[in-house]
Amino acid sequence: MAEPRLTIARRELSTLRSEKTIVLALLIQLFIAAFSSFLVVGLVSLYDPGSVEGYETTVGVTGDASEDLLRVVDDQASMTGVAYDSQATARAAFERGEVDAVLLADRRAGRVFVTATAPDSNVRTTIVVVQLREALSTFERVERDQRSGYLAATPLGLPPRSGSTPYYGFSYTVLLPLLCFLPVFISGSITVDSVTEEFERGTLELLRVAPVSTVDIVDGKVWAAAALAPVQAGLWLALLGFNGTPVRHPLAVLLVVAALALLVVTLGATIALLAPDRRAAQFLYSVSVLVAFGGTTLLPLNPVNTVARLAVDSVGATYPLLVGGYLVLGVGAYVLLRRGVPRIGLGA
Amino acid sequence: MSGPRERLRSAVDDALSGLRSVVRIARWETSRSAGVVDRQTAILGLVALLLAGAVGGAAMATGGVALDRDVYRIGVGDDSPYHEVVRESPALAARPPDLDRLGRGVEVVVRPDRFYVADSTKARAALSTFRSAVRRHNLNAMRNERNESAAFPVVVTLRYAEQTPDEDLTAGSGAAGGSGSDSGGAGTGSDGDGSDGDGGDGGGAGFDAGSGSGGAGATGGSAGDGPLGVPGFGGVGGLLGGGGSSGSPADISPPFPFGALVLAFVFFIPMNFVIQPYGSSILNERINRRGELLLVAPVSPSAIVAGKTLPYLALLVGITAVVALAIGGGPVSIAAVAPIATLYLAATFVGGMFARSFKELTFVTVSISVFLTSYAFVPAIFTNVTPIALISPLTLVVHDLQGTGVTAAQYAFSTGPFYVGSAVLFLLGVGVYREEDMFTQRPVPLKFLDALNSRISGRRSVAVLSALSIPFVFIAELLAIAVLFVLPVEVSIPLLLVAVAAVEEVAKSVHLYAGFRGPFAGRRGWKMALALGALSGLGFFLGEKLTAIVQFVGLPNLTLGRAAFTSAGVAATPAVGLLLLLAPLALHATTTSIASLGATRDRTAYLSALVPAIAVHAAYNLAVVSTLG
Repeated sequence: MAEPRLTIARRELSTLRSEKTIVLALLIQLFIAAFSSFLVVGLVSLYDPGSVEGYETTVGVTGDASEDLLRVVDDQASMTGVAYDSQATARAAFERGEVDAVLLADRRAGRVFVTATAPDSNVRTTIVVVQLREALSTFERVERDQRSGYLAATPLGLPPRSGSTPYYGFSYTVLLPLLCFLPVFISGSITVDSVTEEFERGTLELLRVAPVSTVDIVDGKVWAAAALAPVQAGLWLALLGFNGTPVRHPLAVLLVVAALALLVVTLGATIALLAPDRRAAQFLYSVSVLVAFGGTTLLPLNPVNTVARLAVDSVGATYPLLVGGYLVLGVGAYVLLRRGVPRIGLGA
Repeated sequence: MSGPRERLRSAVDDALSGLRSVVRIARWETSRSAGVVDRQTAILGLVALLLAGAVGGAAMATGGVALDRDVYRIGVGDDSPYHEVVRESPALAARPPDLDRLGRGVEVVVRPDRFYVADSTKARAALSTFRSAVRRHNLNAMRNERNESAAFPVVVTLRYAEQTPDEDLTAGSGAAGGSGSDSGGAGTGSDGDGSDGDGGDGGGAGFDAGSGSGGAGATGGSAGDGPLGVPGFGGVGGLLGGGGSSGSPADISPPFPFGALVLAFVFFIPMNFVIQPYGSSILNERINRRGELLLVAPVSPSAIVAGKTLPYLALLVGITAVVALAIGGGPVSIAAVAPIATLYLAATFVGGMFARSFKELTFVTVSISVFLTSYAFVPAIFTNVTPIALISPLTLVVHDLQGTGVTAAQYAFSTGPFYVGSAVLFLLGVGVYREEDMFTQRPVPLKFLDALNSRISGRRSVAVLSALSIPFVFIAELLAIAVLFVLPVEVSIPLLLVAVAAVEEVAKSVHLYAGFRGPFAGRRGWKMALALGALSGLGFFLGEKLTAIVQFVGLPNLTLGRAAFTSAGVAATPAVGLLLLLAPLALHATTTSIASLGATRDRTAYLSALVPAIAVHAAYNLAVVSTLG
């Protein structure tokens, strides 16, 4: 009985191919990935002075604590301090653009009050402010060390600075799960469309006259959509590996994706069978997928986290158990749907 | 009874009856869509929505989600002071301090003498995360100190000032931090007197946790502290604090409207849901020739489309108003979001008219959502940084939520392309709202050409279509600016010039390509090609003059803005101005004629003719930028 189901699955895939929707789907995924990368890379380069090379900031320092502060400022990479006698001369220099920022540091009541003036409303503002924050944090540590006798707890020593890029964590915990799960959601959506369209166009009647059971029809649609997701995810894994983001347990990741695809596609098919109007079905589907995925992220071993940890090899030796759990979940849901289909009944 | 009065009355009658039929169709659409939702679906939907609310609430209650939970493993003994740091940080997992397992099971091992780090990118990332976790731990420990002046010996007040010689200093916010121990997000309000800042125009920079927006600051702060767990933000946690301006040095942060942005994003969620049924409703008309009955009824296609769209537009505006009320936005927010909603619907309408099946429609709507969301969202991030942000109406919302004003010119600049763009899209869609297009299965690109052809009725219409493409060109070019402006100027300017040339050349010639497959199919001679090319160039040139509006918002002050709009004739001296006025006309006519010659042949010829056209255009732009820049 495998033949008619495969035929239906092939028909599903061929309509996708003829409409070139799958190309559009890949493009969308690429755009989303590029967009989120752009967002993070852009933000980090704007807000992390370490990644912005070649910006030399000159700071005018004035006030009665200026000597101590100046020493710290000069120690900072890509920062130079200039001492000014009075606030007025420092401000004048700032307005002429000779210095990028002014720090007015005064000692009062055992503390140092610093008034920082940064340029208003331009791209440099963010860089200057972040650099000021670095310098002033160092200054704070120096001052705090001098007062350590008054403190109950001593601050822990910081681990050494590492030359790590912030993109590492982003690539594995955001970008990779995004690329793995977008195809899953899209597959579910395809199933909803495919089933509701049979109702809308009345073509279900034709299928039902053919020598196939309703379970076969559902099988064919579920198989086609569920097979698409791991294939796309595999494509992205290869691309990421090519781009210098190697994934450690690719097979396990793909198995998780396949299991979730089966689960989500089953969900889509169930919803479409229960609510055969596309408007209602798509709405229900998107809300429930949002709820399901939003809800699971609260759990300790959520899908996003699982994929990320598999990819960076932060799983123990028991990881096959975890992957097996996902498979049981996906297959279980699918079996339930197959049992339920004759009871729901098609073609009402 | 005189003639003119009679005619006026009949015109009014026509308009009224048109309006009546629009309302009738709208009512019919509403009742039909509502009828789809039977009791079962309604209950399912209600359950789903309740679950969504519960999940959201749970996320709030448990302090957010950790996508990177236990990603890095730190070897640290139970008695080590660092053990608590590792336990507190969701991304770090504690393992026994076994040096033998370094690199295979643990990334960093903490020993009393020093830190041992494995040699891998992952280990370096782990160390970096560990470092910020220790820093955060120290900060919290200091907050619990009784001797405040020893724990936080430095109190910083951040203010912003103009760097131009002839202007007064406008302080964004000026206050001595009261306790200095509150983070930008924690917002204990002790620096509440910081709200007297006379922000001025750019003073949005002064928006901070102290200026009463405690709610926004709090969300930002809690996100910055780690529960959101998006790595890469760990080291720069302060940046999510909504632009803190006063307190301990760790609390000051660049002006970043995180809270307002998150709130503004709320406006987008309902749009993505509403366009789904709208697209379905449009496509439904086309399935099994169902729309035929409506088509033969004595109403115009535009009335049908207006009637079908009205309920959804009203719904979206209504939701927007409710959201605005909930998050504290004013009429400006609603007025800024309405054009986005309109464009969403317009694009979905065209998608519904072009798509062949529900599956295709799904992809079209997803593309629309993704594109429009990013177009609106990305620039708004830079609200307080650069005037480019104004290309997105969402920036107006952020301004509104921050309490910084919006001028009429800014409103026109942000929303203009959206209004005109929606109008053009509806126009195109209505053009194919006819039997021969609605009920046939054709690929999307052919449908698009059909839609263009339905608007070509003579040579003059070619110029009109060129001019009508301006809003889309505008949107595409501004998006290119927004995406490229993070790159250094040496790289971004040439890239931008090519992108601009490509966008404009395609916009000027694609309807010529359509025309040669439609009304001008029998007249593919080179004379006709040149004539149409020149006309199209002229139309584009006239339409481009509209971009002079950028002068109002000071975009040309920006290097990139100048590069993109030089050919629009935004020039300085009169002599150069006159030259620049006529030179673009010649340019547009020439390049479009090149593309037009290719368009008379087949698709390959058209695409290969676009290459020299784009090259000439880009070279011209480069020449203008380098002589004037």
